[in-house]
Amino acid sequence: MTNHLTTEELELWAQGLLPAARTMHLTECTLCRAEADRERTLFLSLSRLTRFAPTAGFADRVMKQVRIPTRSGEFQS
Amino acid sequence: MRRYERPVFSLVYRIVRDRALAEDLAQETFIKVLNGIGSYRPEFKFSSWIFKIANNVAIDQLRRRSLDTLSLDGSPMAETADRMGATALQIGTPGESPLDEVEARELGATIEQAIARLRPEYRSCIMLRHVEGFSYEEIAETLELPLGTVKTYIHRARNELREYLASVRQ
Repeated sequence: MTNHLTTEELELWAQGLLPAARTMHLTECTLCRAEADRERTLFLSLSRLTRFAPTAGFADRVMKQVRIPTRSGEFQS
Repeated sequence: MRRYERPVFSLVYRIVRDRALAEDLAQETFIKVLNGIGSYRPEFKFSSWIFKIANNVAIDQLRRRSLDTLSLDGSPMAETADRMGATALQIGTPGESPLDEVEARELGATIEQAIARLRPEYRSCIMLRHVEGFSYEEIAETLELPLGTVKTYIHRARNELREYLASVRQ
């Protein structure tokens, strides 16, 4: 049996990027297979995280407080 | 700015876990970015620069208010039950089918609870890696941490997340 998969290799596997030669190890090692399944479940959960939105008018509220430089080098709000 | 509105707000919101406070801090982030645009060094990724400012603003706030033990149920600064409800993290994505929405809420709720239990610096690393798709090197540059520290944080954070998810399923 080949060496167990490292943390980095498990991450690559969960992303579908692990080279086939190392992926073969999962067919012969129940320990790594279980670890890989947990990693994939975690990645699936993390991939579904929502990007939250601030309330409407957020950009306008920001721009009201930004100092815009004028041609003379002064700042205006 | 619109491109970074949601990513920055999401990062800050997950760090401080209080919507109103997150909005103020996201606003502070963009004001610093826009007022300090002259100090941006183009050899760095623009997104790294913005997230660095956002992370610093949020972490500084936690340090000031000792908000590092936070609850998914709402801000620890909330003084009434209503305020707890108002500050609770809102989960779910509009526009999904009913089944998807239920699934997303369940998955989202569980993973959000797990993330809420992480140390704030672990949370930042996990968000940048898994929501923003940053490489380990980009996270190190953004958070001004050694690459080895970033790898350790992400490794420990994932272990904690896996353990929590497993305990919930039992």
